[in-house]
Amino acid sequence: MSASIQFLKPRQDILSRRATIIADLLELLPPDCLVHEPRELVPFETDAFVSYRRLPLAVALPETTAQVSAVLKYCHRYGVPVVPRGAGTSLCGGAIPQEDALVIGLSKMAKILEVDLVNRCAVVQAGVTNLAISDAVGPDGFFYAPDPSSQLACTIGGNIGMNSGGAHCLKYGVTTNNLLGVKLVLVDGTVIELGGKHLDAAGYDLLGLVCGSEGQLGIVIEATVRLIAKPEGARPVLFGFETSEEAGACVADVIGAGIIPVAIEFMDKPAIEICEAFAKAGYPLDVGALLIVEVEGSEAEMDAMLAAIVEIARRHGVKRVKECQSATEAALIWKGRKSAFGATGRIADYICMDGTVPLSQLSYVLKRTDEIVKGFGLRVANVFHAGDGNMHPLILFNANDPDEAAKAEAAGNEILKLCVDAGGCLTGEHGVGIEKRDLMRHQYSTADLDQQMAVRAAFDPQWLLNPSKVFPLDGRPAI
Amino acid sequence: MTAALIPATESEAADMVRDAGAAGRRLAIAGGGTRSGFAGGQQADAVLRSTGLSGIVTYDPAEMVMTARAGTPVAEVEAALANNNQMLAFEPIDHRALMGTDGEPTIGGVFATNASGPRRLSAGAARDSLLGIRFVNGKGEAIRAGGRVMKNVTGLDLVKLLAGSFGTLGFLTEVTFRVLPRPQAEETIIVSGLDDEAAAQVMALSMALPLDISGAAHLPESVRGRFLAGGLPEGPATVLRLEGLPASVPVRADKLVAALSRLAPLARLGTDDSRRLWREIRDVAPYADGTKRPLWRVSVAPAAGARLVADLRLEAGIDAFYDWQGGLVWMRMEADPEADLVRGMIRRHGGGHATLLRASDASRAVTPTFEPQPAAVAMLSERVRASLDPAGVFFSGQMGEA
Amino acid sequence: MQTSFSPDQLADPHVAFSESILRRCVHCGFCTATCPTYVTLGNELDSPRGRIYLIKDMLENGRPADAEVVKHIDRCLSCLACTTTCPSGVDYMHLVDHARAHIEETYRRPFIDRMIRALLMVVLPYPARFRAALTLARLGRPFAPLLKKVEALRPLGAMLDLAPKSVPPASRPVAAAVAAPRRGRVAILTGCAQPVLDPGINAATVRLLGRLGVEIVTPQGEGCCGALVHHMGREEAALEFARQNVDAWMREIDGKGLDAILITASGCGTTVKDYGHMLRLDPAYAEKAARVSALAKDVTEYLAALDLPQQPSQGLTVAYHSACSMQHGQKITIQPKLLLKAAGFVVKDPAEGHLCCGSAGTYNILQPEISAKLKTRKVKNLEATKPDLIATGNIGCMTQIGSGTGIPVVHTVELLDWAYGGSKPAKLG
Repeated sequence: MSASIQFLKPRQDILSRRATIIADLLELLPPDCLVHEPRELVPFETDAFVSYRRLPLAVALPETTAQVSAVLKYCHRYGVPVVPRGAGTSLCGGAIPQEDALVIGLSKMAKILEVDLVNRCAVVQAGVTNLAISDAVGPDGFFYAPDPSSQLACTIGGNIGMNSGGAHCLKYGVTTNNLLGVKLVLVDGTVIELGGKHLDAAGYDLLGLVCGSEGQLGIVIEATVRLIAKPEGARPVLFGFETSEEAGACVADVIGAGIIPVAIEFMDKPAIEICEAFAKAGYPLDVGALLIVEVEGSEAEMDAMLAAIVEIARRHGVKRVKECQSATEAALIWKGRKSAFGATGRIADYICMDGTVPLSQLSYVLKRTDEIVKGFGLRVANVFHAGDGNMHPLILFNANDPDEAAKAEAAGNEILKLCVDAGGCLTGEHGVGIEKRDLMRHQYSTADLDQQMAVRAAFDPQWLLNPSKVFPLDGRPAI
Repeated sequence: MTAALIPATESEAADMVRDAGAAGRRLAIAGGGTRSGFAGGQQADAVLRSTGLSGIVTYDPAEMVMTARAGTPVAEVEAALANNNQMLAFEPIDHRALMGTDGEPTIGGVFATNASGPRRLSAGAARDSLLGIRFVNGKGEAIRAGGRVMKNVTGLDLVKLLAGSFGTLGFLTEVTFRVLPRPQAEETIIVSGLDDEAAAQVMALSMALPLDISGAAHLPESVRGRFLAGGLPEGPATVLRLEGLPASVPVRADKLVAALSRLAPLARLGTDDSRRLWREIRDVAPYADGTKRPLWRVSVAPAAGARLVADLRLEAGIDAFYDWQGGLVWMRMEADPEADLVRGMIRRHGGGHATLLRASDASRAVTPTFEPQPAAVAMLSERVRASLDPAGVFFSGQMGEA
Repeated sequence: MQTSFSPDQLADPHVAFSESILRRCVHCGFCTATCPTYVTLGNELDSPRGRIYLIKDMLENGRPADAEVVKHIDRCLSCLACTTTCPSGVDYMHLVDHARAHIEETYRRPFIDRMIRALLMVVLPYPARFRAALTLARLGRPFAPLLKKVEALRPLGAMLDLAPKSVPPASRPVAAAVAAPRRGRVAILTGCAQPVLDPGINAATVRLLGRLGVEIVTPQGEGCCGALVHHMGREEAALEFARQNVDAWMREIDGKGLDAILITASGCGTTVKDYGHMLRLDPAYAEKAARVSALAKDVTEYLAALDLPQQPSQGLTVAYHSACSMQHGQKITIQPKLLLKAAGFVVKDPAEGHLCCGSAGTYNILQPEISAKLKTRKVKNLEATKPDLIATGNIGCMTQIGSGTGIPVVHTVELLDWAYGGSKPAKLG
């Protein structure tokens, strides 16, 4: 296991009171809703950032608002740290527990409470998966726009925690742009509602603040999300290039020409091979880099937009242009793309970076990424949301080799710093978690971070909520 | 007249805030002052103006991102964008005619008030376009938040928090925002003769079509004549806007017409008239009447707008029109603001909020401008405010008040 | 995912194989979303990822199974929806097989649990005993509500509930006339429970294939495929059934030769197709078993290759329920539906088609609560398509779904037999 990222030292006073705490929690929760047998806690020790693991004190799986509130109130009263968990698909360790913390998992609160098509919104419990919303409203011609690749499994509560994006946010925005309201349980158990079915919430934009706060401001238990009418048609088109640089430059020129497709996804050769092996989507294997460009609208609109994109692509020496011929083919193209991370597991372990850079820097950052990873003697596969510069280099390594694991982590840090130095940021959509926590000072000054921490403390003065995450452990305010 | 502090640099602004803090003076934050009068400010010891911090810092059209100092006139920003066929997607309202103010609206003021127009429905509010900010907090520290890329979850989103905080949390010195290509063509379909409730249904039906409608407003007969100099067809007008490529707009307009033609008489407006109409809707032209008659800006669920107005009409003299598919109600009262009535009725119609945009000084003195928040949210808001401005240097007006 | 096994542990080929499976998992969590028990219970421990982790922890530490681990592994339906979903190609089936065998070796179940499992193992795989048991069950039915009041006895109550009201008489499929031209020679698995519960399925298969010019043989000595005991972790017993069947079929293969071994219950098909893996460590059988597995085909898989002509519309809407063993175990998804369409039926896919109906071998007996929830969910989705009838390719699903709906449930092959010249299935009245 890698060890360079530290967690907060477990509080002995909590650990020594474990039996009492569990007995007390069993008064607040039905027996099925509290996991506390040591063996049963092991599967909760990590999320999709599997390099780091910590056993939790116990895991609460509440079924009602009242239970969430009661459990938080208890933890607040007795100073027990809390780590919220959705589906545990975080790639930055956002849901990794710590020994003195109670995990509060929202997986039992997974009902779609209301679909309101007239007001174009849905009210769902936090444990509902992202895709389940689109599935529920799809037959009526609507969808929920943010579509993280893990959308099959990840929950809306987790999406709000990380302000998740996805492939199609180039046109439709990320979670914060599609969120109308939340029901939030504050650290002391108080239940508040922010926003609602109306477009703009009243007062300070606490809703905007909560979105992307990584479970540090409260636990979201319900969300009201915006629904959008599905376009008449959508067509992904594959553009194959000789080199990543050409593909990157093409992306910048498409956007620069004022053309905004719904999605522009990028895959380099290793990524193409990995995804094709799983999805058999018909990606060209004889190219060095691939763009999946999706346009939508009526046939005429798609034709017009595609013609313009093809022309730009030709200027960048596009080698292959492949329009998909059927809905099945389109589904396979997206299945391959969205399964890219998991499919990588077929050939190696990986850690996935998430820096975002300005489009003009895309080609340069791709080149440098390759050099950095090679410098550590490792391989990299790139598959990411090129249209908004959100890069996902997958650094491949062998997790059973501690030396390689350490190198992968070091290479990742270099890449993220590179993204910041190129005018971008550490994380576009996965969140800071523990993974990028210690790099925060590379992006922010002390005053910037102090201000963020002060706002955080306004919600959670004792720093009980997901305490090991986001903010570097040194330089935190005294509690 | 309160004294004005007009810093020329961010560090000068920071000094001024620190000095004010040390001296126990309260500062009201302002830009061009064109949106003033509804967020308070008269009780401050001095006004801290952003107008000295002016100019576009960077603008890269290919990246669709601009950085400008907070005091940069909106006109300057829009001119630069227009030169590159780009625009502020959220169509910020120009409050001058409505509020009876003059001067130059600033880009900082746009974001500080989250001023969003009709395209809010499809392209989001001002806060959705804001990518990064620099500001001075109440301790006189210069803080940077966000960045210049669209996707960014690095740390807490102070950008959203400052957007729409009406100068009560910090003094914006620089804003970085996303811009979009300006649609090359637009067309508006006018559905005539619908009452408010029927209009709400037609707007909902239209928004459910795969046509990418970027504006949906209903202009009842009482206001219809005040748009396009009386040029709209007879009867209440329900207006739906389509924008985009010249090849696509007429096609989508035909489809919309086909979908609605059996419901009511239809008319179509070409690009120029359409642009003018939506600018007038954006700026609430019918109520820019040179009076101080109370004006509410009400935000409710789209389907609730018409019913809310119908119920209020039974108890008070009001005139209203609707934007955002019915979810934004501009409501002018005949006499008193009737705040309790309006706000009580909003709660009965599923919730939302009302901002008293305009009122006589006497009414304003006794009416909270912003929607009073439930106690728990108000307490939280106050703690958040204090975390940015512990000593209360910035005049907090009525934001976050219980 | 990182693993931690000693060289000694890895010397055990079973452990080594499981380690190679675990290494592929990247803990992405996609599998949780399509897992019927996670969707029902909302607990990571009852998801594939949770079970993989429990198994990993147990195997790495060389620990005997304990009550907690057993509870969550027992709740697994082995529907294998997770393997369809998994982008990393984690071979969950063989991992959980290993875990079940490990449980049987190292864990002593409570008395009543042991008795019930023993009862199932000595009765179900043997048609004569099963028939007798079903007859007795009719007498026992009045006691079902009473049994269900005692937690440990609930499986017995469930068993009584599932037993059909009448048992068809014993029969072996009558060899049908084989039409010319001859298109092939195949063996058909007679199996164990299916011929007792519904002998019409294999009869329809024999008639249909006969008309299509395919000769069918039922070699002496074949019987239960072994899935039943296999899923209870009785590895040796399962291998014994497998060897017996391999021997029976090898006699035909080495004799007049076989083009395929057809299976009309997809649950059995998944297991027969896995004989090659199950017997890989048995030098005497490894090769033979691999040959048998390579010849094993679901009946619809075989029929799809025969290019049946399009029939006129039957005027009936069929909701097609894809058995888990069909779609996840054998990855047969499209062929049965294409066959039904060609036969003139309107075919509907229910929502949540990937979710198990809760039958899953003996699962509806051993885990009646979860099974009942899944059945209700499945029936609701099937009925929502407003079908005239429901078709599926697995006897377990037919019994399970049939006990929850008034809509007739038939085997795909019965409809095909009817559409291509056979008689109307009796269930359709």
